[in-house]
Amino acid sequence: MRPATPRGFRDVLLDEAAEREDIVRSLIRVFDAWGYAPVETPVVETYETIAAAGTHGGEAEPFRLLDADGELLALRPDMTLPIARVAATRLADEPGPVRVRYVAPVFREHASFRGQARQFTQVGVELVGASGPAADAEIVAVAAEALRAAGLQTFTIAMGSVEVLGELVAAAKMPERWQTAVLRAAHVRNLPEVQRLAQEPGVPESVSCALMTVLRTRGGAEAIDACRTALSECGRPRALDALRETFGILEDLGYAREVVVDFATVRAFGYYTGIVMQMYAPGLGLPVGGGGRYDRLLAAFDRPAPAAGFAIGLERLAIALAEAGGTPRPRRLDALVGGTDPAGCFRAAAELRAAGWRARLACGLTGLDLVREAERAKAFEAIEEAGGVLYRLDRAGGRADRILSSAPPPGSGEREGQP
Amino acid sequence: MVRSPGPGAALRVAVPKGALYDDSVAALARAGIDAAALREPGRSLVVRCGDVEFVIAKPTDVPIYVAYGAVDAAIAGRDVLEEAGLEVVELVDLGFGACRFVVAEPVGALRSAEEMYRHLGQIRVATKYPRITERHFAERGLQVEIIKLAGNIEIAPLIGIADWIVDITATGTTLRENDLRVVEEVMESTARFVANPASLATKTARITEMAERLAAATRGEKGA
Repeated sequence: MRPATPRGFRDVLLDEAAEREDIVRSLIRVFDAWGYAPVETPVVETYETIAAAGTHGGEAEPFRLLDADGELLALRPDMTLPIARVAATRLADEPGPVRVRYVAPVFREHASFRGQARQFTQVGVELVGASGPAADAEIVAVAAEALRAAGLQTFTIAMGSVEVLGELVAAAKMPERWQTAVLRAAHVRNLPEVQRLAQEPGVPESVSCALMTVLRTRGGAEAIDACRTALSECGRPRALDALRETFGILEDLGYAREVVVDFATVRAFGYYTGIVMQMYAPGLGLPVGGGGRYDRLLAAFDRPAPAAGFAIGLERLAIALAEAGGTPRPRRLDALVGGTDPAGCFRAAAELRAAGWRARLACGLTGLDLVREAERAKAFEAIEEAGGVLYRLDRAGGRADRILSSAPPPGSGEREGQP
Repeated sequence: MVRSPGPGAALRVAVPKGALYDDSVAALARAGIDAAALREPGRSLVVRCGDVEFVIAKPTDVPIYVAYGAVDAAIAGRDVLEEAGLEVVELVDLGFGACRFVVAEPVGALRSAEEMYRHLGQIRVATKYPRITERHFAERGLQVEIIKLAGNIEIAPLIGIADWIVDITATGTTLRENDLRVVEEVMESTARFVANPASLATKTARITEMAERLAAATRGEKGA
């Protein structure tokens, strides 16, 4: 047989893997600088934990497993649920807000004909135990800084709030069936259907106007103000105060160009309660990442606490960077170290590494063979060890000169992780 | 996989060929959007008019182009959008291309399908739209076996492959010609102007302007 990976799973190798590592490193550096601490959780959760968030919607079914005891398990579909579980259990007694970060493979089940990936990697943060505009703004600002640090020059973060629509629908004082229908149509972003529902008999004119205004408005502070006017007329003048303040902070910090207010922003997962955001990059038709506030999720684990966070999809960020010509170029090998005496090769390579070189062993290879192998490996130098002396080989395989093992690595001029 | 034209590039808009094509071109023209080159596209499938690049697409592929960001926006029937079930933003109901999804059965059926259901517990339904069909019968709580066919759905009951069909009808002529009668309505469909969510967030002004012009032209048409 010729072994294959299961449908929707793939190997990440060599160049791609190195580039991904570089991207992750630059994201982590930002999260770390903001004081977010790393966490790791099991890949597998009980199905009960995953189901605690409520229905996920057909597009993101969790990947289910049965163990030998017949217990229903699920591979984590994102990291928000496992971190909520951790925050509600082992971290529940930590004083003050908990800031955590993660790099984690997550899994989603998809119908076979779509050909979609069933495993992808999310890099993100969660801020548990803090709420209000400063906490919301922190999440958006960390996201913006991380995308920039990864090398994305232009991007847009669409920011909305699920509360606004909820308040509007409640203000209509219509039967629950109507409310659900409006929220569902808004969720699948079917504006003509929202418009039709807004014009049903019994819907107050002010609510009907405000619904369309809110779902159609996109922009900066002026967009929030336009929506605030519409909401005031429905008797909900304060519904946007928090979002306005959040946006004000981000504007002050100079993020007004990247952050766009869009109340039609929705997230596939149903657990969001406050701000929601989606990150977009030019050249990519799907969001690079997203997140928001989910203040009721921890209550499902009997430890109510406010929480917010976001995740960046590593695969999508890699595509966005490639589109923008910003794929990181991982540092090349500095040298291949060959020679007839293996112990000598080991010692020579160890000395070079101590001086900061990236040196790979090629015991047994000398002369032209060693040079060819070094070219194949894209190493800067082919270095031959003989009797404790290190020789730099020329392109023909001849000994060009002796080098001191304390010499700086030839590749050190390249800045790591930068295109 | 999901590459879309960059921010400086032309806005890319898909137009479905087939039944909605002429009305789509007319709607664009009414909205004052330069789409003259779409009238005589010849054999080309990508046509540029000013700063808009039109992509002429097979109707069922339109939602896929939009969802993956291959085009920023498109005109698509509600029916194909519903059937695709992909993430796109529906911005404007363009009003044209109106048709109904119906469940139909042969007029001369000796025993009604409902009666057979009581005995066999299952009804076979032929359709080009398995998702819409599945959802409709799931909502009704009726167990059906869905048979997906590529076309000529109306003959399915005549050749005995299915008891019922779920298909679109604009005037009912095809149904009558094949001795079929409507059992029940499934949904109504009209053409929609849709956008990719990422494009809507990054090229907001251009897409919103196009949507507003199309909406205004549609209102004008209705008023006339």
